Amino acid sequence: MAKSAIADAGIRLCINGSEHLLQIEPRVTLLDALREYAHLFGTKKGCDQGQCGACTVHVDGRRVLACLTLASQVEGLAITTIEGLAVNGSLHAVQEAFIRHDAFQCGYCTSGQIMSAVACINEGRTGSDTSIREYMSGNLCRCGAYPHIVAAVRDAAQAMDLGEGRGR
Amino acid sequence: MNNFEYVRATAIPDALRAVADQAGSRFLAGGTTMVDLMKCGVEVPSALIDITRLPGLDTIEAGPASVRIGALSRMSDVADHPTIRKEFPVLSESLWRGASAQLRNMATIGGNLMQRTRCSYFREPGVYSACNKRNPGSGCAALEGVNRGHAVLGTSPSCIATNPGDFAVALVAFDAAVYVENGKPRRIPIDDFFTLPGDTPDVEHPLSPGELIVAVEIPTSPALRRSHYLKVRDRESYEFAVASAAVGLELEADGRTIRDVRVALGGIATRPWRARTVEAALVGRTFDEPTVRAASRLATEGAVDHGEDRFKIDLAPRVVARALLTVGGTS
Amino acid sequence: MSTTSSESLKSNGAFLGRRIARADGVAKVTGRADYALEHDLADIVHAVIVESIVPSGRIGKIDLAAAQTIPGVLRILTHADALPLKSCPMVPAGSVMESFLPLQDDRIRYNGQPIALVVADSFDHAIEAAGGVRVDYQAEPAVADIDDPTARPIDVPGAPSSGMGRGDAKGALAAAAVRMEATYTTPREYSCPMEPLGTIAAWGTDGDLTVWMPSQWAEGARRAFSEWFAIPMEKVRVISPFVGGGFGVKVTAHADALLAAMAAREMRRPVKLALSRPQNFTGNGLRPAIRQNLTLGASEDGKLQVIIHENTSETSVDDDYVEGGAATARVMYAVPNLSSSQKLVRVNSFTPSWKRAPGEAIGAYALESAMDELAYKLKLDPIELRLRNYASQDPESAKPWSTRRLREAYDAGARAFGWERRSPEPRSMRDGHELIGWGMAGGAFPNVHTPGEARVTIAADGSVDVASSGADIGGGTYTILAQTAADALGVPFEQVRVRLGDTSLPRAPVAGVSQIANLLTGAVDKTARAAREELLTLASSHAGSPFKAKRANDFTIKDGKIAPTDGSAEAVMISEFMRMVGRDRIEVTRNTMPADKASSESEQRDAYDSFKYMGPSSATHATYAWCAQFVEVRVDEDYGTVRVRRMVGAFDCGRLYNPKLAESQWKGGMIMGMGEALLEAIHIDRRYARITNNNLAEYVVPVNADVPDIEVISVGEPDFHASALGGKTVGEIGVVGAAAAIANAVFHATGKRVRDLPITMEKLM
Repeated sequence: MAKSAIADAGIRLCINGSEHLLQIEPRVTLLDALREYAHLFGTKKGCDQGQCGACTVHVDGRRVLACLTLASQVEGLAITTIEGLAVNGSLHAVQEAFIRHDAFQCGYCTSGQIMSAVACINEGRTGSDTSIREYMSGNLCRCGAYPHIVAAVRDAAQAMDLGEGRGR
Repeated sequence: MNNFEYVRATAIPDALRAVADQAGSRFLAGGTTMVDLMKCGVEVPSALIDITRLPGLDTIEAGPASVRIGALSRMSDVADHPTIRKEFPVLSESLWRGASAQLRNMATIGGNLMQRTRCSYFREPGVYSACNKRNPGSGCAALEGVNRGHAVLGTSPSCIATNPGDFAVALVAFDAAVYVENGKPRRIPIDDFFTLPGDTPDVEHPLSPGELIVAVEIPTSPALRRSHYLKVRDRESYEFAVASAAVGLELEADGRTIRDVRVALGGIATRPWRARTVEAALVGRTFDEPTVRAASRLATEGAVDHGEDRFKIDLAPRVVARALLTVGGTS
Repeated sequence: MSTTSSESLKSNGAFLGRRIARADGVAKVTGRADYALEHDLADIVHAVIVESIVPSGRIGKIDLAAAQTIPGVLRILTHADALPLKSCPMVPAGSVMESFLPLQDDRIRYNGQPIALVVADSFDHAIEAAGGVRVDYQAEPAVADIDDPTARPIDVPGAPSSGMGRGDAKGALAAAAVRMEATYTTPREYSCPMEPLGTIAAWGTDGDLTVWMPSQWAEGARRAFSEWFAIPMEKVRVISPFVGGGFGVKVTAHADALLAAMAAREMRRPVKLALSRPQNFTGNGLRPAIRQNLTLGASEDGKLQVIIHENTSETSVDDDYVEGGAATARVMYAVPNLSSSQKLVRVNSFTPSWKRAPGEAIGAYALESAMDELAYKLKLDPIELRLRNYASQDPESAKPWSTRRLREAYDAGARAFGWERRSPEPRSMRDGHELIGWGMAGGAFPNVHTPGEARVTIAADGSVDVASSGADIGGGTYTILAQTAADALGVPFEQVRVRLGDTSLPRAPVAGVSQIANLLTGAVDKTARAAREELLTLASSHAGSPFKAKRANDFTIKDGKIAPTDGSAEAVMISEFMRMVGRDRIEVTRNTMPADKASSESEQRDAYDSFKYMGPSSATHATYAWCAQFVEVRVDEDYGTVRVRRMVGAFDCGRLYNPKLAESQWKGGMIMGMGEALLEAIHIDRRYARITNNNLAEYVVPVNADVPDIEVISVGEPDFHASALGGKTVGEIGVVGAAAAIANAVFHATGKRVRDLPITMEKLM
């Protein structure tokens, strides 16, 4: 059978500050590029069709869904995944708040929830619980950790306001 | 999905040329429709021309006479634009009530207008052969199928697929125009931009091959300043509308008589649906709840149901009425 | 297995019972928890399933020509390859819930059935090729669903057709002053864990099989592979340290796991098979559609005389899956006469399996809705009606309850909710366009028990390793087992490492029926105490010991230090002590089999790789967890949309090993119940007998914005008939009663009784 056709030169993705040269076809999504080619499994595949939020990552600081983003599209842009959130082994305030409030159970949606939460806080959506709920609604959680996610986001937002963000 | 050639365009002429050069090629913006439908096997382009890095197409100008939004503006940027939020609420609301924060960061305004129906039968080409939208002449599996989410207005025996848009409903209510380019610029009134299925449901827009949406423009009006988007759905967020309404209101100096009113419906029609009969029934009348409720009932005049979607014929007028009562300050 | 030593009580107050954050928390918030599909193996290839698009008939011709031209395609397997498989016995005797074996014949049983498997060098190539497989079908008529005109209810094969019961139901009904009869229907629903099913399988050169798959029961999956491929259990290793949600669908291995292993054997390479989200709907994880007829008969003053429960549920063409709903009715109230019967309807579907609280969730919905209807009929407060029928012992077995703090749950829940301020009339509370409704319901969940094994190892550095193949599907097994071992050994919590979900570790039964926490804490407690005993025997007898005391119980271990209880010598760190006595480790393995079976290997196998040993946790007492749930809904009177504004749940789950984690599970269950009440339903196109909403946009589950603050209250107390350490079942009780409380609140708001879930807007408009 025929050999697979790989894009000639490959593409360069800047993931969590490191450059990755990946030999991938144009059809490879950012999600599959992260998981299957860059071997970064922290970003989860929950639906692969833009309906669950488990694959949420940041591109140039904005939260997006990796499953509907072609890897080629984000060449040269800054991609941040859950693996890039903790700095020097020190958890991000949102990660800490998620543990403190037990904002997850099975953990599978958690990477996406946390990436979404960080963006939600940066976007200034944490003025009320209603706002947090709405702006965290793009991330499904089947274990039903929602009330604790809201508490964690509220708490982390306050901590980050107080300048206790990264590295506490 | 099938493989394709990926081309990143850096200037509009390059993008137009690239699409012209290769049969079966398509523009790629935010990807939230295109990549999704490619995974479903509905879209099978030979090449994708990535237009997301074209310069100058993501500007938002909210002026006194009109709001002009570059086609590559992201839904979130428009929804959060301070002037739009404050002055033209329906534009912001119809955007932030759509999709999710992540999708709104990806999807562009041009792409938003081009989003396609969520009809289950349309989205599974490997399973349902009958879909006139995908494959003209093959029939419509939804007519006799599971059709709670389907349209009751603007349908034809060929297609009952709902247009899933929210923002487009607001555009239709407020007489927006779509600017497209393919060498020479063209202005398409929004009413002409969404075509009815008729017996060609595969044709959804009057765009010629290779035409690129560059902007939408919404004329400002007092009604736009007193506007609202109301979206009713099964769950509170991250879902397409079961029924929605974009409305605007302008009262005479007496504070009671309706001078201008705009009504468009979403979730229940094959295209974003302007309800001009409702508007006509209200202009010149005194704004009060009985009048609004009575006029709103006209919104689904002539609607045709397909069984499971029958409730929408009653639902949509109530959504219109409540949206109007909200902008009128009596709800 | 329900008694405990007084020593267990002493472990109270140290780590068990405290609100300790998850032991696996850091792994999960940093993306380092390794779920099944997250393993890099050299030479791995990707497999994608091709599904049938007709529900019944025969496969005619399969044309692979186009698919095989796709670059990167390595192999396409179909039934024509005739790769032989043996069947695995079904539960309770065996370890699978469906008899279907893929690619064995040309028969189509359901729309979505795997009929070919494409193996390629990349996921994208396999997907593309799968789309190119052309199949001719000889379609035959199908039964689409329970309401299909051609559907015929049948008796459950092998079960008495007269059903079960007590007293004289017929006579009691004839004599009852007040009667209430209604039919409650629930649709097909899905477990829908956020992690889809998927498997990596690899065969070693010596014929051993290693499988990474998300499993609630690694030992059961191991048995399945062993049976399917006719290889010894010892040759199979199933690895599942993290499970991205289960809720029933990951209890047993399904066709995807089998196909991955089959393909890996054919290819002689590791195979990764990821089911797409739509395939998770068309292939696995279904609660069947169910119709429950309930008839209540009562006296004028609200004393229940009789309950008649008639249940009809869907099953598949091949198997007799029964989801009955009468279990709750049997134990909830002091009713002398009861009958329950069960019918099945065969439909062209894959075999249904468990969804969180199978039987209890739908049973409580029907029973507690019917009780609400009866309360209105009698003009009684719903709580008052329940109290008038309070069962002071198990009405089914006449055994005493081990503990039943349901009265306390009603009280605590009502108080927290403010129930006394409720105006009883329907449609009597409103806020603008919103009708306000308050509803309540109760629930029960049986406490079952299966033995388990555990290994506890004290290392030279004093750290403790706890090992079991049991699963943590999000309930918190990692955490509570560390708490248990820390308490039993007297070491700091942080010093304990727990390893789970790997059949190379000591065996455990299914993480289902909410039993895993109680059975494994019991096993770990027992094992850790044995390890402590061994340590202290060294302290009292080894020549290198610095201590003079000569009996093991003359010592205490606290904060990881050993000391004579009388204070006659300085405390010594365990690590230091291990050096003194020249030991590099103390390793103890124990199980909690009944003493007379403990030494039999075949009995042990039965315990861990079948349901044969699963049973009530007490021989002398009826052991259940109980709950009372209270809900406020707002119903928009124009749209009929229902939004839940408040939820309060009061639970009697015995002793809580970790309230923080138990509360999370309760709330999660209540939210799933909210989904069942208001949102979740599979839509079947009867012409194709196919699920049309096979995705998370159209199979609507609650999002964050749907969920209000939820208050949960524990009213339990330790119950040592229920488990060794006093806990009762936690994981599923939260979903039991939630849907009924919401449906009852909707009636209170609107005066409309919707007896068909989910309560969507068109049913209220």
